[in-house]
Order: sequence, then structure tokens, then C-alpha cells
Amino acid sequence: MKKSAPPRKSPKKNSRKGKSTRKPWFWRLFLRVFFIGVVLLAGWMVYLDAVVTSRFEGRRFEVPSRVYARPLELYDGASVSSGALQRELELSGYRAGDGSNAGTYRRSGGHFVISTRGFLFTDGLEPRRRLSLTIYGDRVQDFRVLSGDSSPIVRLEPAQIGGIYPAHKEDRVLVQLEDVPVLFTDTLLAVEDRNFRDHYGIAPLSIGRAMLANIRAGRIVQGGSTLTQQLVKNFFLTRDQTLLRKGNEALMSVLLELHYEKGDILETYLNEVYLGQAGTRAIHGFGLASQFYFGESIREIDAHQVALLVGMVKGPSYYNPRRHPKRALSRRNLVIDVMAETGLIGEEQAARARAQPLGVTDKASYSENRYPAYIDLVRRHLARDYKQEDLQSEGLRIFTTLDPAIQHAAEFSVKDMLSRMEGGSDTVLESALVVTSRDSGEVLALVGGRDPQYAGFNRALDARRPIGSLIKPFTYLTALQQPERYTLISPVEDKGFSLVFDDGRRWEPKNYDGEERGLVPLHEALSRSYNFPAVRVGLDVGIDAVKSTLQSFGVTSGISEYPSMLLGSVAMTPVTVAQIYQGLATSGFNTPLRTIRQVTDAEGKALSRYSLKVDQVADPAAVHLVQYVMQETMQEGTGRSAYRTVPRELSLAGKTGTTDDGRDSWFAGFSGDLLAVSWVGRDDNGPTSLTGATGALPVWSRFMSQVPQHGFSPVVPDGVEYHWVNPAEGALTDEHCENARLVPFITGSEPDVEVSCGGNIERRIRGWFEGLFQ
Amino acid sequence: MKANTLRYAGVMTLALAMAGCASGPGGGSIYVPAGGSSSRDEAPEPPQTSDRGEEPRVERKSEQPEEPVREPEYSSPSYQDEGDALSPAARSLIQRADSLMAAGDTQVAVAQLERAQRIAPRSAQVYFKLSEAYVALDQLGSAEQFTLKGLSLAGSDSSLQRAGWLLLADIRRARGNVAGADQAEARAGAL
Repeated sequence: MKKSAPPRKSPKKNSRKGKSTRKPWFWRLFLRVFFIGVVLLAGWMVYLDAVVTSRFEGRRFEVPSRVYARPLELYDGASVSSGALQRELELSGYRAGDGSNAGTYRRSGGHFVISTRGFLFTDGLEPRRRLSLTIYGDRVQDFRVLSGDSSPIVRLEPAQIGGIYPAHKEDRVLVQLEDVPVLFTDTLLAVEDRNFRDHYGIAPLSIGRAMLANIRAGRIVQGGSTLTQQLVKNFFLTRDQTLLRKGNEALMSVLLELHYEKGDILETYLNEVYLGQAGTRAIHGFGLASQFYFGESIREIDAHQVALLVGMVKGPSYYNPRRHPKRALSRRNLVIDVMAETGLIGEEQAARARAQPLGVTDKASYSENRYPAYIDLVRRHLARDYKQEDLQSEGLRIFTTLDPAIQHAAEFSVKDMLSRMEGGSDTVLESALVVTSRDSGEVLALVGGRDPQYAGFNRALDARRPIGSLIKPFTYLTALQQPERYTLISPVEDKGFSLVFDDGRRWEPKNYDGEERGLVPLHEALSRSYNFPAVRVGLDVGIDAVKSTLQSFGVTSGISEYPSMLLGSVAMTPVTVAQIYQGLATSGFNTPLRTIRQVTDAEGKALSRYSLKVDQVADPAAVHLVQYVMQETMQEGTGRSAYRTVPRELSLAGKTGTTDDGRDSWFAGFSGDLLAVSWVGRDDNGPTSLTGATGALPVWSRFMSQVPQHGFSPVVPDGVEYHWVNPAEGALTDEHCENARLVPFITGSEPDVEVSCGGNIERRIRGWFEGLFQ
Repeated sequence: MKANTLRYAGVMTLALAMAGCASGPGGGSIYVPAGGSSSRDEAPEPPQTSDRGEEPRVERKSEQPEEPVREPEYSSPSYQDEGDALSPAARSLIQRADSLMAAGDTQVAVAQLERAQRIAPRSAQVYFKLSEAYVALDQLGSAEQFTLKGLSLAGSDSSLQRAGWLLLADIRRARGNVAGADQAEARAGAL
């Protein structure tokens, strides 16, 4: 711009001096007007030039971040149902087909042949492969790599589940000129601007030539504007067709050509051009368009796909291949004609290309955020390390831990069970469900309310509710960490009492059923969730101790120190409950919940990794005892109705929670693979007729029954021994005796008396040699 | 020098651990397809107490014998004596991680090991390998925790136990926790 301004100034000064004395008044006026015009034009050029350069020099495009689901791992024994695999493939933009073109699969019953497209993970490339496998009993069998690098385990490309978009909602995948096949750019130039490499931004000749070509073809096959003009039009100007705009367009095109290489301009065009709409999201650039319509990288597409994309430039909605396949097909074939005429492809190849179907994916693989509640948690985790504007513009790639099959089951369970529970009543129930991987802490699914598409109040993250009896395992864990005082068969008192505080207030806890049972063994008190023993044991070990157990398991917010906390007056969100139950579900290892495995830049370079972490916060032996009771809860305690839905073979562990008047119904539990926490209640915190067992548990069980998984069967940790005992007598007994129960004890805390089937109690005398081999 | 010895020890114990796992089938959690009709896959096993020599006491209701045998009023909570064995897929990822570590690409090795952990979360070996990787990264705190996690899954497999305690002793010594190291070594020696 500095170049162009000065030369215009000097001739004007000269002309004013020389001509003002000799010429008549109208000449002077004319010159003045001319001068003013030139100055204005020069100023305008300076302005336009600034616009053009600043737009080109700085960051030209804001590229949204892409959020991916976890990649599906396929190997012999992998846990996946046929339905889930098919959904996963569709989500990743695979097409049902012959299974031999990349991005297609063939299914017959449980047998799948899949041709993967390959994906560059930061920990290595998954090359293109052709896979064969059979799903039997929800497991992968006979997994084989038919072609491509052989490997016993292969990752599919991760499905994109959402994006973090700039405010203007333009979406694109940036491509570089060298990434784009030469056939593509040549075709584009052949159709849109044949003289691109020679003109200076505007080409009056090519307008004429385009007219001729159009007349010859009998329809419009070429446009008159150059690519540069089209770019300028899209890039800087509004779409109104005015003379002023045309003038500006021409000026800016010339300026653009003055400043920049042809390659730069072409590359920018490739990324700028508008090619369709997905909801509120605008699809810009061929990089994204190729993904959007074919589910494939622009590097990989064939001649007929090249022709379709190039043909669409003329009218992205008019030639939308999903909505107007016929129009799109004839436009595509017209472009194929041009490709053949100009010698870009041979006649044979052209014929083959014309014979191809459009080859677009049924659904756009890059769609709107379909899991708003989950993405909400991802955003909050990202906010710890990234700025919002970077997330909206830097084209980051965010690899999450979301498992689409599990998310699907979770959403379905909430929706289905809530409408069943409401029946015809007026009560409007709400719910939240959090599912994590038991041993890695990865959040696999998150439901923030009964309408999973609603991006509003996220109950899983923001509904802080009293947790009721969900607190009890922590109280008993605190007690069982003192094996000299408490074992699973220690008698505890199920009898009412009242506490009188210093200020004279009284607190009288109640059992849910209003009963009192006298002395009961500790395991029974927990599996049946009796209140009196929980408070008595909690007061005995100390509220402080229970509080510190909770804190070590991951509670960071304040915890009330009133005795009522022992019955769960402490409020937590479902996600926090999932966090603290993670330590109970593993053997006392706190595993921070994660939604993100990795963030990379647009080129795939790792920016941050969020690695697996474990931190032992409790004695595995004591946790094992609590896990025993949480299994008992499912088999004979408050959680047993789960087995109406869940198959018997699936061993589970869990705990119910209910708060006063059924305001909150909770269930937290786990299998060998998954940990899930469900909550049901009302947004207005009103009463319901539900308990943990009738509200949250049915949602939880419905979910668990739909997911193939391993049962819970913990490894007996060091320092734990199982003994046959008669819990009522507090004595060892014989396996065959009535009331015999196999119960784990921390070594040394098992009873030292024995009761025979007849009921005679004997002190067990250990020989010195017996002790020696213990 | 010290780090080298430590790394060497880690590799040694791990080689042992892998050998140990190859020799025994290990426990094995029961896999249940959705909806639970596991019979189409393999004969369903009831939740079991796989304690030494004890018969599983639980019978599925449908299979209960006619005679008036005392019916247990509850199913026993399930437990097992050993963690799960490594699947070939997990093993191949660990091998990949091994060669990455040998090439000094430990960060990528960790990513491969985390893949292995996701598909074999109940195998002690995976955690010992992660521990080894964190030793190589000189993050001994994480290494110690992964060793403990591995030990929690080693169960009655004494070669895995031994490998774990020796690894723990090494790490604790490197962290300056001499008493803890001696203790761990004694545990290994007692096996």
C-alpha cells in the first residue's frame, strides 16, 4: 500500500499548479473534482489494501476445535455387540458397502469386514487396513487383518462427537496446497478459472471466453469471475450485487494479486469456499467438505468425488448431494466431462467415474454436538489449561474418553425408566447418570437430564444434593480400618436413640422402615442400610475420621460436622460421588476422573496429555471388606431388585441412598469394568415416593443390563483371609453348618471361638506349630 | 549410575513377572453379554469363590436340583485369588511399549501401556510395566503408586508378588525411603 500511494500524489500536485491559470473555470472544476476523486480513490485503495493485507497476514481462519470420542479398539475378546459396532461405524462416517473401499464395511449377521481409513494418533499411525471379525456373545472373535499391517489389535478412527466453534459458526478443516491432489486443483481451475495462473486478479478476456463456452455448451459451465474475485467476494464482501461491490471486488482482487503468490491465493480459496450447511454450522473449505460429504480426507478421494466437490462450488445448496442427488449427479458428470476434455483424465477413467454413485455418507460425520452434557464436562476440564478463544480458533483436536455405545445405553436407560416411574402422575422427575471405567477413572458416559439433547442445566455436574446412605460405606470403611475393634461380624446396635446438643436441640434419627432390630452383625447393618448402627459406629470412630476418609477419597468441598452427616446430609454432585466411589471400586486407589486423554494441535502434535494416575488412599484389605458388603447389598440387601433386570451371572456391588421424603434417590455401584452413579429427583427439590431402590436403582440396573461387561470379582488383597463363620454367634464354624457364611477378615481379626453345627462354642486353641505356618 | 541400576532391576523383575504370567492361567473375571444370555457364548459360570479347592457353592436358580438340599439364601459375594491373565492383544501392546522404551521414546510407550491398561485393567503386569516406564521418566512417585496398584492385583501369584515387591524396594530406595525399601525386600524374600 505504501508503494501505490506516493506516485499518485505527485502528478496531481503538478497538474493543479500548471492548469489552474490557463484553463476555463469548468476545467478547473473538473480537475478539482477529478483530484478529489483521485485522492478519495487513493484513500479508498489504501483502506482496501489494509483490509486485504491484514486479513491475509494475520491468522486468516478461525478453526474450531474438534472433539473426538475414544477410538474403538478391536481385538480378539474385545467387548462390543454387533449393534454397537455398527453404530460406531456409522458415527465415524463409514458406509455400508463392499468392505473393500476405505471407509466402508460389510456386515452379515455377526460377521463384519471393515476397511479402515487409517488415522494418525500421536502415539503412532494406524494405517489403512481391511479387517475381518465375528461378534459372538457380544465379543470379538476370529479377528484378522486381511490386508495392511498385521496386528492383533487395531484402533478405528475416532468418531467426532462435537466441536468448539467460533461465534460465527464457520467450520473448516484447514488444508495446505501440497496436501490437495493435483487433480483436484487442476479440475477446480479448469472449471472455475482457466487463466488463474496468468491473470492479475481480473480477466476481462476470460469473461468473454466463459460466455463463449457457456453458449457452446448450451448452459452455464463456466463463471466469469476469477478465483481471486470469488475469494474476495467470500472473504471481504457481502453478497449484494451492486456496482460498488463489483468495483471493490475488482480493486481488491488486483491488490491481492499484487501482494501475494498465486499459491497463497489458491490455498486460501480452498479453505474459504462455502460448501454447505449443517444446522447452524457453515461448512467452509474443501478439507471439511470432503470429510462432511464423504467421511474422507481430501487426500484420499477419487476422481468422481473430486468432480462432485468442484461442481458444488457453483451452488452448494442447489447441488447438495444429500438433498438433491439427481442435480448433484448431473453437475458432477458435467465436471467429469470437463476433466476429460482438458485431458486431466483419460476417457476410460472418465467413463468409470461417471459410472460411480455419488458416494456420500448417509449422515454427516461432522455434526453438531450430540452429547452436550458430556462436552460440558470436557469444556470444564479444558478450561483448566486452555483459553476459550484458543479453543474456538486454533483447530485443536481433543481426544476424549466418551464411549458412544455406553453413552447410548445411559441415555436410553434414563429416558426409559423415568417415563415408566412417572406413569400417569403429575410429578416431573429428573435424573443424572455418570459412568466411568472402574480402573482408569475415564468418564465413559454422562447424562445431565432426561433430555440428552438439551444443553441446559447439567445435573450430573451441577446438582448438589444430599447423598443419604451413600455415605455409609465410608463410615464403615473408617471403622474396618481398625481391625482390632471392628470386623464384618462385629455386633452393632440397631436401636433408636436421641442426641442432645449443647444448645438443647435434639436429634433423633429413624430407620427407614421404623423398625429396631437390636444387635446385628456389621455386614448386615450396612447391606440393609440400617440407620442406627451407621450413626453409632460413625460416632464411635469419630465424625472427624469419617470426614477425613471422605476427603482422602476426593471430596474437596466442605463437609458438615454435625452427626446428621453420618446419614448423608452432605451434599455432592453425581460426578463427585462417582469420584469418591472410584476408590471403593478399586482397592482403595483414588483415580482422578478424566474426560480427556490428549489435546493436540491441528497438525497432530501433542499439546497436553492427561495420563492415568492412581493414588492409594486406603488400606486395600479394609476396602475389600466393604466391597464384600456392597456385593451382599446387591444379593440380599437394599440393591437386590437389580437382579430383576440384570443377569444373575453379573456380580455387582453397590449402595442405595435416599434422603428425607424421597427428595433424592441415589444409587452408586460397580461391576468389574464399570462404575455408575445415578440420581433421580425433582428439580424443585420436592418430595417423591421414591427410595434409592425404586428410583435410581432401576435406572442403574437398566443401564447395567444393556452393557456387556465383566462381573465384579476382586482379587483378595494381602492380609485378608476368608473364614466360615456364624455371624450371629461371632464364631468360626463349619462350612456345612446352618447360618455358615464365608466372610473375609483382616488377618488376625477373625474370631478365636468356634461354634459347631450343634451350637457348642469352643475356644479355638492354636497349636504353636499351627501358628508357625500361618 | 543409580538410575541405571534401578532401571536394570526394573526390567529384570518385569521379565520375571511376564514369565510368571505366561506360566499360569491366572484368575479371570466372568464376562457377561448384554441381557445376560451368556449361554450362547459359553457355559455361564455362577459367581464363584475360587478359594483353594473349594467348590463354587452357588447354583443358578434354574439349575437347582430337585432334592431338598439346603438352598443358600444368598449368593456369595465373589472374589478371586489372582488378577486376570493378559490377553494376546494386551501383551502385544506391552511388547510395543517395550521397544518404544528401548528406543528412549518413553512418553509414547506410556500411551501404549495405557491402551493395554484399558483392555486389561485387572492384570498386575500392566501396572508393573507402567511403573517401569515412570521410573524411566524419573517420576518415582507415580512409579511407586503403579507398583502398589499392581501388587493389589497380584493375589496369590507368588512370582508376580515377588516381582512387585522387588520393584517397590528399588523405587523406594531410589526415593530415599530406606526403611520402606527394606520392608518391601523382606516381603519379597518371604515369598
